[in-house]
Amino acid sequence: MADVVRFASMGTRVELHRFGAGDDDALTAAQRAIEAVDDALTIHRPSATTALNERLMAGQGAAIDDALLFEALVTIEELHASTLGLFDPAADRRFASAGWSAIAFDRNSARIEVSMPVALDFGGFGKGFALDRACAVLREKGVVSACLSAGESSIAVVGEHPLGGGWPFAIAHPLRPDEILVEIELTDESVSISSTVGAGANAPERAAMIRPTDASIVSAPRCTVAVDRLGAHAEAMSTALLVADEDQAERLLNGDRTRRFLFDFPRGAAILDQSARMSFND
Amino acid sequence: MTDKDFDLSRRSFIDRVLMATAGAGMAAAAPWASAAVGAAPVAKGDRVRLGVIGTGDRGRGLIQNIAKTRNCTVAAICDNFELHLAKGRALVDASTRAFTDHRAMLDAGGLDAVVIATPLDLHKQQSFDAFDAGLHVWCEKAMARTIDDCGAMVKKSQDSGKVLQIGHQRMFKPTYLNAVRRAKEGEIGSLTQIRASWHRQSSWRRPVPAGATDRQINWRLYRDSSAGLMTELATHQIQVSNLFFDAVPTRVMGSGSICFWKDGREVYDHVALIYEYAGGRKLIYTSLLNNARYGCEEQIQGSKGTIEPELGRIYKELPPKELALLRMQADVASGKKRAVPIGGATWFAELPVTTPGEPLGWGEYDETMLQFEGFGEAVRTGKPLPGLLSQAYHASVASLLGEQAMDSGQILAWPTSLVAI
Ligand SMILES: NC(=O)c1ccc[n+]([C@@H]2O[C@H](COP(=O)([O-])OP(=O)(O)OC[C@H]3O[C@@H](n4cnc5c(N)ncnc54)[C@H](O)[C@@H]3O)[C@@H](O)[C@H]2O)c1
Repeated sequence: MADVVRFASMGTRVELHRFGAGDDDALTAAQRAIEAVDDALTIHRPSATTALNERLMAGQGAAIDDALLFEALVTIEELHASTLGLFDPAADRRFASAGWSAIAFDRNSARIEVSMPVALDFGGFGKGFALDRACAVLREKGVVSACLSAGESSIAVVGEHPLGGGWPFAIAHPLRPDEILVEIELTDESVSISSTVGAGANAPERAAMIRPTDASIVSAPRCTVAVDRLGAHAEAMSTALLVADEDQAERLLNGDRTRRFLFDFPRGAAILDQSARMSFND
Repeated sequence: MTDKDFDLSRRSFIDRVLMATAGAGMAAAAPWASAAVGAAPVAKGDRVRLGVIGTGDRGRGLIQNIAKTRNCTVAAICDNFELHLAKGRALVDASTRAFTDHRAMLDAGGLDAVVIATPLDLHKQQSFDAFDAGLHVWCEKAMARTIDDCGAMVKKSQDSGKVLQIGHQRMFKPTYLNAVRRAKEGEIGSLTQIRASWHRQSSWRRPVPAGATDRQINWRLYRDSSAGLMTELATHQIQVSNLFFDAVPTRVMGSGSICFWKDGREVYDHVALIYEYAGGRKLIYTSLLNNARYGCEEQIQGSKGTIEPELGRIYKELPPKELALLRMQADVASGKKRAVPIGGATWFAELPVTTPGEPLGWGEYDETMLQFEGFGEAVRTGKPLPGLLSQAYHASVASLLGEQAMDSGQILAWPTSLVAI
């Protein structure tokens, strides 16, 4: 027996598929958990994050009252550190000096201070973070097998595949959809896919990728894949890999060659693809 | 329909209005509706006596609806065109007095109120005459031919202490009231745009019977007597828009033309307007007379869904199914395990959503009857149904302002000199 909920949240389409055991209201509760994260972290309508950004953009410090936002900031601080500073939700293409380094976050007093105006944009991290909370709710509700997707770039699974073993996924080449880049198996894990090319890169929920070291927009055709216990971590890693230079990429990939992947494509391929998409979108 | 059936469907209609208007939010949003359903039935001899001026198409429909009410009765009818008066006579008791001049009807007395269903340009004078005769007035939409005349009617009713009610039946229709309630409760998120249209495939020209002139019968097509599509059709939908947005427009811009029916008419057969509301919200309105594909509809568009009240449907902004995950479901069901493809060319074209949506609930019944029960109660108590007149006034003003915007090619701001209600 399987059941499904589908809804729009986090600027994308979310699907939660549950197989077998678990409370009747498990999926609804998981949906609520995702919507709560969206409500707290969105920058597309008034939220705790937009309120915080207003202060940070004015160069002022702020107390973090929202529990979800607080938890997100704690996680981000850790992830910024563990990705060589490459995952940076405060990066700003207008100012190279803006970024997480301009932020002082004090967990104990739940306060943020800034040394210059900055704004937070949680982007893909928010989706991973939301899926993590939804997975936790599902486990609490006795669910042992579930697959969650927030758009096509963020997937999380609870437990094993309903037929046993890991959940197999085949990640398509972003420019040649019939080709498979890599196959992976997930058990109680998440995967995040980031790409500077292909359909997903132009999806409305995707902000341009900014390299925090020099605030440039990353345009080289690249696709990265990261698997982690936690969706938030997978998101941070795939983002970091996307903006990493060769040396940084080596260091990050060496951390876990079986769960982190980076594919660089020739430039021409991407340009071709862009023009093909134009007529489709306009 | 037998009397018993009628009572039953009347009861269920009223129940639906009550359900739709239950709750504090709705009491504030549509207070007239709950007041109207509370109208007390009145013994036959004590009913509110109405004199109907204009027994044309609409007037005759109104007479039939008034007959269904439990507190109003048609005591006199009037039409200056004998053929139409005769058709009106056929609908009422032989004892009901009939007049060819509304002043004679007013002078004859025996009325509590008049019902005006004549061409638009006559509404103001006829309502003034009725107020002067000490009567209450129920008048069809739109209110009057000019914005000033609309205001004058409001003012006259205020000064004379008599009720003025304008015929906007959608404000008593359970599907609409229910739709407003669901929108207020946030079901379709924050409303940013309403797209409304009234598209017909018809010249709108009526055959002229012997003894009548074209301008008399086809008054809708001439500027002296009508603003055409704006006052005849758009008024209804602008009123709906104001109701959902809970506001009046701030500005209007538009384009109008006689684009298809070049038959000597003076009013536009094609109109397209944008009404802006505070906060960047918009009503996008079109009406035309040579293509009926999209008919009459208001699409109330929110961040979480859409309501189409004429169709009686609500649509959630549900994302399309992820095909790869759908296949996974099928695989599992058939005991198969294969890799789920992610990414690649699964970006979907932005085509309209074709899912059927869900019914908003609650079918048809004649809300026009309820309008009159509400009016009967207002006349008996001397208190107008709350909130109703400003809705009608603002809808009429907006339709006429739209006409001015199209005529002048200017963006026009909402007038600041309106009569306060
Ligand atoms: N609420 C609605 O859905 C709705 C629908 C249709 C019409 N209406 C409104 O009803 C009104 C009448 O429309 P209609 O379609 O019945 O038009 P119509 O032309 O069929 O009827 C108007 C009638 O008024 C009569 N009349 C004209 N001058 C008169 C006078 N001086 N004294 C007495 N009678 C006079 C005409 O002879 C005619 O019989 C208009 O205001 C219109 O906007 C409202």
